Amino acid sequence: MLRFDFLNARNLRHAISLLERHGDEARAVAGSTDFLVRWRQSGPGRWRPAFVVNIKGLSGLGRITYSPQNGLRLGALATVQAIETNAQVRRRYQALATGATSFAGVQVRNLATVGGNVCNASPAGDTLPALLAFDAQCAIVGPEGPRMLPLTEFFQGPGRTALQQGELLTQLTLPPPTPRTGSIYIKHSPRGAMDIATVGVASVITLEEDGATCKDARIALGAVGPVPFRASEAENLLKGRELSPDALGQAAEAARNAATPIDDVRGTAAYRKDMVEALTRRTLQHALRIAGGQRVPFEEQRRLAVQTAF
Amino acid sequence: MTTFKVLEQNNPRVDAWEKVTGRATYAGDVYLPGMLMCKVLASSRSHARIVSIDTSKAEALPGVRAVITGADFPEIRFGSGALKDRYILARDKVYYIGEPVAAVAAEDEITAQEAIGLIDVEYEDLEPVVDPLVSLRAGAPSVHPDLESYEGYGFTIEGGNICTLLDADRGDVDQAFAEADYVFEDTFRSQGINQGFLEPMACVASVEANGRLTVWASTQGPYQVRAQLASVLDMPLSNIKVVPMELGGGFGAKLRLAFEAYPALLAMKTGNPVKLINTREEVFTLNGPRHPVTNYLKTGVNKDGAIVAREGYTIFDVGAYLGAGPNSGIGHGLGAYDIPNFRLRSYAAYTNKVYVGSYRASGVADMTFAVESHMDIIAHKIGMDPLEFRLKNAIKEGDIAVNGSRVPRNGLAECLAAVKERLGLPRELPEGHGVGIALCEWRSGAGPSTAAISVNEDGTVSLLTGSVDISGSDTSLASIAAEALCIGMDQVIVAKRDTDLAPFTGPSGGSRIVYSQGKAVELAAEDTRNKLFALAADRLGVPADALVCAEGRVYVQDNPPQGYTLGQLAAMSVNSRFGPIVGNAALSTLPYAPVFSAQAAEVEVDKETGQVKLTRYVQCQDVGVAINPMAVEGQLEGGAVQGIGRALTEDMLFDPETGAVRNPSFATYLMPLALDLPELETLMVRVPSEDGPFGARAVAEPPGFGPPAAIANAIYDAVGVRIRELPLSGERVLAALRGEGSDVAYIGDELDELKRAEGLAG
Ligand SMILES: Cc1cc2nc3c(=O)[nH]c(=O)nc-3n(C[C@H](O)[C@H](O)[C@H](O)COP(=O)(O)OP(=O)(O)OC[C@H]3O[C@@H](n4cnc5c(N)ncnc54)[C@H](O)[C@@H]3O)c2cc1C
Repeated sequence: MLRFDFLNARNLRHAISLLERHGDEARAVAGSTDFLVRWRQSGPGRWRPAFVVNIKGLSGLGRITYSPQNGLRLGALATVQAIETNAQVRRRYQALATGATSFAGVQVRNLATVGGNVCNASPAGDTLPALLAFDAQCAIVGPEGPRMLPLTEFFQGPGRTALQQGELLTQLTLPPPTPRTGSIYIKHSPRGAMDIATVGVASVITLEEDGATCKDARIALGAVGPVPFRASEAENLLKGRELSPDALGQAAEAARNAATPIDDVRGTAAYRKDMVEALTRRTLQHALRIAGGQRVPFEEQRRLAVQTAF
Repeated sequence: MTTFKVLEQNNPRVDAWEKVTGRATYAGDVYLPGMLMCKVLASSRSHARIVSIDTSKAEALPGVRAVITGADFPEIRFGSGALKDRYILARDKVYYIGEPVAAVAAEDEITAQEAIGLIDVEYEDLEPVVDPLVSLRAGAPSVHPDLESYEGYGFTIEGGNICTLLDADRGDVDQAFAEADYVFEDTFRSQGINQGFLEPMACVASVEANGRLTVWASTQGPYQVRAQLASVLDMPLSNIKVVPMELGGGFGAKLRLAFEAYPALLAMKTGNPVKLINTREEVFTLNGPRHPVTNYLKTGVNKDGAIVAREGYTIFDVGAYLGAGPNSGIGHGLGAYDIPNFRLRSYAAYTNKVYVGSYRASGVADMTFAVESHMDIIAHKIGMDPLEFRLKNAIKEGDIAVNGSRVPRNGLAECLAAVKERLGLPRELPEGHGVGIALCEWRSGAGPSTAAISVNEDGTVSLLTGSVDISGSDTSLASIAAEALCIGMDQVIVAKRDTDLAPFTGPSGGSRIVYSQGKAVELAAEDTRNKLFALAADRLGVPADALVCAEGRVYVQDNPPQGYTLGQLAAMSVNSRFGPIVGNAALSTLPYAPVFSAQAAEVEVDKETGQVKLTRYVQCQDVGVAINPMAVEGQLEGGAVQGIGRALTEDMLFDPETGAVRNPSFATYLMPLALDLPELETLMVRVPSEDGPFGARAVAEPPGFGPPAAIANAIYDAVGVRIRELPLSGERVLAALRGEGSDVAYIGDELDELKRAEGLAG
């Protein structure tokens, strides 16, 4: 059926009850940027719900706050544009800001929500590697009440999540970064904008007080497996070591070995593996620069993130 | 240079106001009382016999007013040219995934879409053939087993799927190769390309009270639509009126009948007006794109760099139907060069894919990629500077072109010199950077062109032509009329046309509007001016040749106060023995007028990802005279951007088993965006053409030819790898950098077979 009833949720409880009542026949929408594409689609993968539950109007779910104690809180309805332009995000979570800036174009960023990006669970979602790399926790509310879940456990397959019927994601919490942390996301795609990642890599580096030894390293990969994931072997190769070009190269190779991409219209599996290695090395280099205290203006981060020359 | 009053100025477009305020009406903006919406059922099979179609459930759906299948149309095949190989709606077979099988008219679009889902088609699968190199071999599954019985068929190679052959020969090629100091061979492959226009195909059809059919269409060729529609409906042409609406891009895809016949037949069945608007997915899957082309080139060169012979073979995949004439680009197999001996062949092969369409000088961009890459390869191999090698062989005034015409004066050498100077070639660039050039060659388009001009009582003129405005051509036609009639642009009214109103004219395409249609306007304006002068001479009692005109007045050259304004003359003419002043012109051919463009790309290659960044793009074209420099620049930039897309990112992917389009959306078919482009540097030289309006040449097509070769040549300059297949993707460049080049297969076996079939030595 192409027809659906459009139901405006008045508040979170109302949204949950609507979703619970209509079960498999219902779908929540926030920015609808994924929804409309899937609804129009004619082949497999199309969405044809009988009830569309609009959650975009729910108040209080779009806030972005930061505190040194609690870190960053992203309401599920926060738009990608709001994340990209948030000063705290730019200052402390560069990989998230660059993930957001590499995302689609301004018009889509103004509609798309971070909750939608997470719940859509595309392996290529541009905010996902950074959220994983910053150890995001998901706040979920459903008919049974609230619960928390690490983001690493949230993704279950392409388009599949840990959400149960009637549940909504309400917030993502990212712990405050320790001092001497730097990060970046780099997206590989043929076009410099309005393109889906062929590969996306986010790296976060935290240095010891000596400014040379790696205290912590977190690397997350997008579009090279059924879900975006952390390349933990690559991370372990760096922790406690001095970050020589050799060390970065080894980690990049480990990331490559962790990737299990497929062939599709955006590129072959073999090329994607090559890109994982190249991008992991690059993200580590730039994360290291930033962790070491170098000032890298956002415009330069942006150019690096989308790999454009201009 | 002549001083112009109107031409060579950046005049704003005549339709700027309606376009920027969103008031211009496109076919999709036509709403009529009682209008129904049409949707099309597409074949899910690559090649199959239709056993049965059951439309009863669809017909029973409330809101559905009519369902049609192939059986509802007369059993008449039509074609884009002489060869009639196609039914408007599948009859007993389908030939590709996406082929229309049935159409529905319903009270709203959603109901129509739902009805489509209720039509049951039973198919019996036949073996498909998807690869043209397989298709042309003897023993391949036959796409059109009855091809020989089709009207207009004139050529066969036994058992194969080859529907047309184009050939051109001069001199003794084999001997020239035998005597040449060097012989080089290369095979190139270009990818499938979609025209990428923003406005999908759209039309509304309505049966008028007097029984005539009116069709409001998004089309470049209203007269072609009228003729083809009359043919598939088996109806007198005079019973159809086609109203071309504003065009949101066409690039060749809207030259001919598209889907207008479905709403037309549904309107006849229901008595209600019916509208059809394609989705973007349908634009990709139902409507003719360009398929991958394989071009093989062989060139004989002497030690001094002179080219003595060229052999060129094109394998041209036409998909299920020859949707765009046999045009493959082979006629441009010599490039912009004077080559004494040549043998050029193009074989068009059917496959079970969406039928081929036209796109901005179909095939020539593919051929330019081949020729200009090949030229670069040869220059490097014989140790000549690529630019000098081109200049040495460049065709000159007085040479004989591939079509046998004498080459008239032109600005080719000036274009090359201008690009050379702008870039300071030859040029040393940093590691990983490179520069490449390409020469492009095209001809100014002719074809039937007509124009009528009438002078209004207030001194303005109304200009009537049958040609649809594409990319501002109405503005150019208006400025030609204004220049010739000594009036301002704002004194020219460009009439909205339809096929009842305007005289017959060829479609808007092939770089012919300003050149050929503009010539008709210039001649009609001259005719008008002669009549104005005759009337003024009569009234002033002076000979007509004593008169001149300027600023809307006709006056005695030696005594300017003695004269009349155009308005006065128009008012006088009404009751004079001359009658109201109307000028006309009609023409169909114009002498060969080549167009040349030199282009250069600078790139930076990322050796780890293979990604190519275009850092600079320079082009220079001989435009003859710039009717409107701002519009010319727009054409040159737009064309270059389309070429850059072909070069780097655009790629229509077809499933190798089924021939289905794998990426039918703008999310996966990637056209370049502003962020992907450097500042485009556009230069013009002006060597007036001998016959064009005020010396203008065609402009539209050549800018798109150069980028694939210029960028491929720049990649070679940057990192020393040669890519012979488009697009020049990161993946391809990286593979080549590692020496894993998935290079284009040499098509030697296929060539030998084709040559044997023609009686040539294999
Ligand atoms: C032109 C275009 C370009 C795009 N480019 C990119 C790109 O570059 N990178 C990228 O990552 N994505 C891209 N996308 C995809 C899309 O914009 C993102 O995935 C976006 O973040 C989705 O957010 P939304 O609010 O629009 O989600 P919606 O479409 O409203 O919903 C998406 C899915 O998430 C579910 N959902 C939404 N919010 C919640 C919630 N709070 N709790 C539970 N379930 C929820 C919905 O039920 C639905 O299944 C693009 C889309 C378009 C149309």
